[in-house]
Amino acid sequence: MKMKYIPLLATVLVGACYVSIAQDNVIEIRKPTTHIVPISIAGFEGEAQSVLAFDLSALGMEITAPDKAEYLVSGTQNGRIEGRLSAAGAAQPLWARAYAGGAIRAQAHAFANDIVKEIRGTVPIFETRIAFRVQEGSSTEIAVSEFDGYNATVVTHDSTLVEGPSWIPGGRGLLYTSWKNGGEQILEHNLASGQRRAFADFPGANLSPAVSPDGQRVAMILSRSGSPNLWVSKMNGSDLEHLTHTRDEDSCPTWSPDSQEICFVCRSGRAELQKVSANGGPARALRVVGVYGNLTSPDWSPDGKWIAFTSGSGHFSICVAPAEGGDAQQLVAGEDPCWAPNSRTIVFCRQAGNKRILSLLDVPTKHVKDIRQISGSCSEPSWAR
Amino acid sequence: MKNAQNLIGTFLLSMALAMSLTGCKHRPPMTTTIPDTATRPGPGNGAPTTDNGTATTTPAPVTGEPIPLSNGEYTSLFNGSANEDRTRFGADTVYFDFDSATIKPSEEPKLQDMANYFKDNKKFEGLVIEGNCDQRGTEKYNLSLGERRALAAREYLANLGVDPKRIKTVTYGSSRPADTGQGESAWKKNRRDEFILVTPK
Repeated sequence: MKMKYIPLLATVLVGACYVSIAQDNVIEIRKPTTHIVPISIAGFEGEAQSVLAFDLSALGMEITAPDKAEYLVSGTQNGRIEGRLSAAGAAQPLWARAYAGGAIRAQAHAFANDIVKEIRGTVPIFETRIAFRVQEGSSTEIAVSEFDGYNATVVTHDSTLVEGPSWIPGGRGLLYTSWKNGGEQILEHNLASGQRRAFADFPGANLSPAVSPDGQRVAMILSRSGSPNLWVSKMNGSDLEHLTHTRDEDSCPTWSPDSQEICFVCRSGRAELQKVSANGGPARALRVVGVYGNLTSPDWSPDGKWIAFTSGSGHFSICVAPAEGGDAQQLVAGEDPCWAPNSRTIVFCRQAGNKRILSLLDVPTKHVKDIRQISGSCSEPSWAR
Repeated sequence: MKNAQNLIGTFLLSMALAMSLTGCKHRPPMTTTIPDTATRPGPGNGAPTTDNGTATTTPAPVTGEPIPLSNGEYTSLFNGSANEDRTRFGADTVYFDFDSATIKPSEEPKLQDMANYFKDNKKFEGLVIEGNCDQRGTEKYNLSLGERRALAAREYLANLGVDPKRIKTVTYGSSRPADTGQGESAWKKNRRDEFILVTPK
């Protein structure tokens, strides 16, 4: 071989090795989370198949044939799930794991959590719960289910009006507004024991409880001062503080993830989103650009970056704005958004025929997935975080 | 021959270096990206709302001081054991404009009627005011607005000399519509305060 060709040969060979190494390490290829990921599922049937298909679809993935997929999910189910995730074109799977114990749905959810963590990089949500309000006829009750609507239990039987379930962080219970004793009281409901106690029973309305993420305080709307305003107390009811003095009314409190601030709706003439420190001080408007009309029902994402809310009067839309204010995006028709622990998925309700149903929204792809419905019209979903 | 060996050695060194460099890459943290799409107002949006052809301007905020809630000596009247009469003031249901808790001039005579009743009536009677909304707000928003409508009637009655301790407010948000139909002809019947006369048994 001529000497002068050796440097060229060396360069070409180094280049070839680099490319083949890069292809083997396909986890290094990162695509933006806004795109819908085609993915195939093979080797599963029944509930394992349907859980995998639902969960991945909820995170903005499209179930396709293997030749169109970017990722391939495969495995077996023989009492336990053995699952593999591969990138298209790769000789070896990224990983292979086994999921044993519990029901087949739980195994499949755990597998799906690992797949989503690999592809989206988000924290797991497929073994979490939601609470919501369900209406049949003229009475409403509170129900709790898995995030996908399965294993739903109606936890109240008061045949009266209830509204606005709010989880106690950790999931041991709920606070909600009940009319069972003639007026609006906030009840605290222990889910394990079924025991309830009146959390707030002041003269006037006691509405819209929101427990702080650190579990220490509760924000609520009380009308005891003569106008419905934002108040905060400790979880044991002490240290009650009157935070806003809006002459018309305030509504819809939601906490920042550091439990220091509250975003809420203030109506003084028109309704707008505002923020106030949970420790007192002046409230200030949240600047929202590009979405018009009444902005209500805010929910602050667990990572602190976004506030989801409902826009509109009658025709409602789910919108998202930066938590510090700025350009908002109107995403899908619906109302009452609540973020999942992953700060990416939102549960909300939307009109379907003559009732409302619960759905999941994958914010970056705007993909909507209806969850399993119980009978009745469902609204005000709250995600246990 | 020695030059070739040096080149091959350099080549092997380069390859080793390339392999170690690719192995050192680490994942950047994932962040949720909101799609960069143009926003257009959806149906029903646009400020201000003019659904019913009445006021097109933003409602003026309410003036005057709020009146704290307490029933004092009338508390036992509202513990569920008294008589509730929906018909006595059934014709005095007070109606509101969209998104407003302001008592309109057209509704004032109804409240004057009720104030006259309590002025003339020396018995131990009270009033429950139930505030309601049409369906065009989210539920928590409507609960607060319904309560504000009940309080607005209470304030008006108090300013006419009715002891506010005789009055209890309840909100039903949009959960107790008078008319479940669609459109303004139904919605305007739902934006209301209803008045229940409470008398001891």
